[in-house]
Amino acid sequence: MRLFALALLVGGWLVAVGGLVASDELATRLITCLAGFAASLAGVGVLTAVHNEHAIWKRGGALS
Amino acid sequence: MRGVRLLPLCAAALLALVVTAAARADEPAPPPVPLTSADLKAIPVPSTDDLAKGDPAGTLTGNAGDIVVADTKAGLTFGDVVSQVGQNRIAINFVWTLVTGYLVMFMQAGFALVETGLCRAKNANHTMMMNFMVYGFGMFAYWVMGFALQQGGSAGIANLGGMQSLNNEFKLTLFGKDWGLFGTKGFFLSGSTYDVGVMVLFLFQMVFMDTAATIVTGAAAERWKFAAFAVSSMCLAAIWYPLYGNWAWGGGWLSQLGANFKLGHGYCDFAGSGVVHAVGGLSALATSLLIGPRIGKYTKDGRPNAMPGHDIVLVLCGCFILAFGWFGFNPGSTLGASGAGNLRIGSIAVNTMLAGATGSFGAILYMWMRYGKPDASMSGNGLLAGLVAITAPSGFVNPVGSVILGFVAGVLVCLSVEFVERVLKVDDPVGAISVHGTCGLWGVLSVGLFADGTSNYGGSWNGVDGSVTGLFYGDPGQFVAQLVGCCTLVGVIFTLAYVFNWAIDVLIGQRVSADAELEGLDLPEMGALGYPEFQLVTPGLGRSVEIGG
Repeated sequence: MRLFALALLVGGWLVAVGGLVASDELATRLITCLAGFAASLAGVGVLTAVHNEHAIWKRGGALS
Repeated sequence: MRGVRLLPLCAAALLALVVTAAARADEPAPPPVPLTSADLKAIPVPSTDDLAKGDPAGTLTGNAGDIVVADTKAGLTFGDVVSQVGQNRIAINFVWTLVTGYLVMFMQAGFALVETGLCRAKNANHTMMMNFMVYGFGMFAYWVMGFALQQGGSAGIANLGGMQSLNNEFKLTLFGKDWGLFGTKGFFLSGSTYDVGVMVLFLFQMVFMDTAATIVTGAAAERWKFAAFAVSSMCLAAIWYPLYGNWAWGGGWLSQLGANFKLGHGYCDFAGSGVVHAVGGLSALATSLLIGPRIGKYTKDGRPNAMPGHDIVLVLCGCFILAFGWFGFNPGSTLGASGAGNLRIGSIAVNTMLAGATGSFGAILYMWMRYGKPDASMSGNGLLAGLVAITAPSGFVNPVGSVILGFVAGVLVCLSVEFVERVLKVDDPVGAISVHGTCGLWGVLSVGLFADGTSNYGGSWNGVDGSVTGLFYGDPGQFVAQLVGCCTLVGVIFTLAYVFNWAIDVLIGQRVSADAELEGLDLPEMGALGYPEFQLVTPGLGRSVEIGG
């Protein structure tokens, strides 16, 4: 899952930059940028979920 | 009879005068007499006897005799005067950039106070020391290689004399376009980069980098191993901060989005909402994720506990110091006060103070309405949020735009703090991820919205003629360029920060032991308490540390 998250992060950026190369239309570029940004943010979300799976507070006792 | 005879004579004389005057008006103006070096030498200079009497009114000090002459035997020439004018312009710009750089350096003290005040007393020494030592660790790494990667290909900064020795940018050619990736001149400030202009630029850029580095120490406070902090800070200063700095400010590919892809003026980040604050905030997020939350921050079912800082006085004093330093951060980013539209520094300073004020106003209003009380620490964070947000657009927007985007930042930082704490469940003791990361991204985007097209820094920006103009003033392409910058920050810079910090975690470990954390990091990590005469009690944990008895 961690690798998937990193792939989403970098993939989002590639989509945004790829949109610039693929089209001269401003609307297309805007849409690919927004889609890329959303994908990268989703990558951050997945990464936080991965880390929270074994978060220190889930162990209970004195650590929470 | 006599008067009657004189009348025609007077009329004739008057007519002659009018005709002569009209004839003279038709004549071309005499050519200007060129000034010569002899004229310069004839300019009176106060004698030494006059000057020896003192000059209380200041009317004698500073005169033609103070102009440096190239040849004392030949005396003052036009060449000397013109050279002096040129050097004066650069001197003004040097002094401006250096003094504003000193102001930015002083922001380190503000960060130290804010972060230490928002942490618990048992970690005061540790938090203060991270803020203190990040200056040295970061500076060393930036001197070794960070500056070269960032600015090594940025020759042509006319405000500081051109700096032609920074003339090598590593570029890839893809899809018929050049993609500048990093500079290759200026390692150790040696060779041809041992240059007066380069030194000024280094000092200014170094204190900016250090601002980014010190953001991370707040988010990771109270559980970060000091050795890991040292290595992580040096990596930030040497690798991912300079890379993004190059792409935005050093002639790299983001700055060329306008020239290469017709997206406005390319990615525009006047003073660093993206380069400094978003890079710092996203690095803080990566580090906090890896380290995990403090013990006691969340209950077993994931609800957050409040862990208030120990000294709100430090926090708000620190915020004021930061707001003061921001007058170096933003106006100083013109890299000069003379020529090339640099008189806009007044407007930049006003935009900065307005956005900070409305940021604070937005945050206090939100907290008051939501929780029934004006929250002091969030008021401080609101001020910082407004200042972070105005950093990128400060050179391109008007006061009304500044007020609006500052207010939005003030509300946004409150929402973001709640989101990071409750939804992401990432522990950020000082709110650095929200203040610098979220509001840094907002600042980057706001250039693409609010830039009003009135700035003129030498007639072009990033190699594109005309003035930077945002979506609300007619250029949607600029907004797309800013959006590409945001994608790069999250997709590349955050990932780099995460991967490097993960490697540090594997190699030396990022987090202190649970025992050290519960005791407080001052003794286990630093060997001395921040407040040795106090009895420190950790509420809820039933633990106390008594020292000095």
